[in-house]
Amino acid sequence: MLGTAIIVFREVLEAALIVGIVLAASSGAPGRGRWVSCGIAGGIAGAGLVAVFAASIAAAASGIGQELLNAVILLLAVGMLGWHNIWMSRHGRELALTARAVGDAVISGSQPLYVLSIVVGLAVLREGSETVLFLYGIAAGGGGGIGSLFAGGTFGLAGGVAVGAALYLGLLRIPQRRLFTVTGWMVLLLAAGMAAQAAGYLVQADLLPPLGDAVWDTSVVLTDNSVVGKALHTLIGYVARPDGIQILFYLATLFGIWLLTKWVGSPPARRPGVSLRRGIETPLVILLLLGGLGAGSVAEAQLKVRYPIVDYREVEIEHFGDITFDKPNSGKTNIQRYTNEYGLGPLPGWFVELGTEFQAPNGANITYDATEIENYIQLTPTGKYWGDLAMFAEYEMPIHRGDAKTFVFGPLAQTEFGEIAGFGALHTLNLLFTKTVGNNSTDATKLNVAWQSRLLIDPLIAPGFEYYSQIDQVLNPGKPAEQQHRIGPVLVGLQNFAPYGKLKYEAGYQFGLTSATPRGTARWRLEYEIPF
Amino acid sequence: MMRCAVLSLVLILATQANLAAQEATYTLVIKDHRFQPTEIEVPAGQKIALIVKNDDPTPEEFESTELRREKVVPGGGQITVYVGPLKPGRYEFVGDFNPKTARGHIIAK
Repeated sequence: MLGTAIIVFREVLEAALIVGIVLAASSGAPGRGRWVSCGIAGGIAGAGLVAVFAASIAAAASGIGQELLNAVILLLAVGMLGWHNIWMSRHGRELALTARAVGDAVISGSQPLYVLSIVVGLAVLREGSETVLFLYGIAAGGGGGIGSLFAGGTFGLAGGVAVGAALYLGLLRIPQRRLFTVTGWMVLLLAAGMAAQAAGYLVQADLLPPLGDAVWDTSVVLTDNSVVGKALHTLIGYVARPDGIQILFYLATLFGIWLLTKWVGSPPARRPGVSLRRGIETPLVILLLLGGLGAGSVAEAQLKVRYPIVDYREVEIEHFGDITFDKPNSGKTNIQRYTNEYGLGPLPGWFVELGTEFQAPNGANITYDATEIENYIQLTPTGKYWGDLAMFAEYEMPIHRGDAKTFVFGPLAQTEFGEIAGFGALHTLNLLFTKTVGNNSTDATKLNVAWQSRLLIDPLIAPGFEYYSQIDQVLNPGKPAEQQHRIGPVLVGLQNFAPYGKLKYEAGYQFGLTSATPRGTARWRLEYEIPF
Repeated sequence: MMRCAVLSLVLILATQANLAAQEATYTLVIKDHRFQPTEIEVPAGQKIALIVKNDDPTPEEFESTELRREKVVPGGGQITVYVGPLKPGRYEFVGDFNPKTARGHIIAK
């Protein structure tokens, strides 16, 4: 009986914790009891169905039906939880600004409770179907009588529900004002953990590469099988021996949802036409989702072509900058910018950099301007297709608190195509969108295009040209003269000091093509990469 | 998020569909809530396919936290679990519905 109770308890515990969080996250919304009950009832019915059809599901899709079903259920739940958080970030503000009575009306009127109801249903379905199969196995001739089975099942169920209820009641002790902040974080961690679990199933089905088998191992400290391990597995996605791709899914979901809540929840626009703009920008939201991680830039984007091929197991240190030349009193001369970056390739296909930006406009002293986090996610295996593709995402925090924070994201593409005098040519294109958030943010989405073509004469010397443009409002681009366009020659090369690393350099000069662009800009870049 | 998930799933399936599985195959049989054999030796650094056959009429769950695998094996049915590439070592697995009797391990060399 005890064995039965423990197994049932472990399965029920996961679902109960999720229900506890959902109940707390929707507290104060009338009718939620009904919705959550519906979710639980639907989940139990679904669990029964899944158990009955277990054999057909196991055989479906060439034997990976179970994994696909689990992954789809989990990703659906991730989507619902993400949606909940984004919704709350938008309406939670109204709630805080208005009197509580009005706030309640807002909640009851429009909070999409069915979203949470579905999450509950999916959680119960997943954990419940295993419980049903297990209990059926015992009933159909495993050990013990029906009485012991019933008693064990009841104790297990009661224990799981008790822990879920304790979590819920504990959360309710948090003051109303801060409750939704806390539940928001819990929902975020819940979603990230579920995404990692889904990645695990897809690896198990051989549909995703593990990207590193058991990147670390903390099973000595806490095993997945212990009750605490199980609870933390549900609450924050704890896995003692995670695959690389699970870490990637976890972080991508965590940052993806968090950035979307920041973006959507940022102060409403001061100009009319908001709803239209949001509609048009839906593709950009999806772009950000595809990238998974988030990003930023200064008022003026850095002049730099970014490459989509990511160096796994490498650390790098990089310095780049530029300086402008124009008429003395034009306000466009002697603008100096310097950036230092420290990068790491912890997983195949993912490179992350921490950057510090300095600037000195018009001969003023050099000041520390902003800190940035950049992510490169390589989407295609190097050299496998006609071109290589990556997603770039950056988040930039300015030093001056009054300045807006920025996200920058977009695709990076590269291909080798054509030849001149027997030398191949390498072409790189960046399309980066910039969005401001927080204090003094605007509705504008800025577009920066960077294009480089170079001739592969020698690793040490590859000459080419570069083109950079900046359109401050992509939906209202204005006249070409108001946009920035520049073009000019560049020299790129590298020296390999294997096994000690590689030194790369770039130097170029840009001629301004419009009146909004400085007449001339010199740019340089130095980078040292060390494999580990 | 969902669109993204579905899209990436489709992309992944499309790229994987024509890659035939070439992994070495090992078979485990569940009978009377026990695994047979209880020890399987596999090459390290290579992906393998593990076929788990359930000769019992009741369902079982093949589970290994060390391999990060869990999959229900229906009564009288069989499943395939892909494992590895593994680092050399010993990896325990259990039948989660009968954890007292159904135990075994993989040794990667």
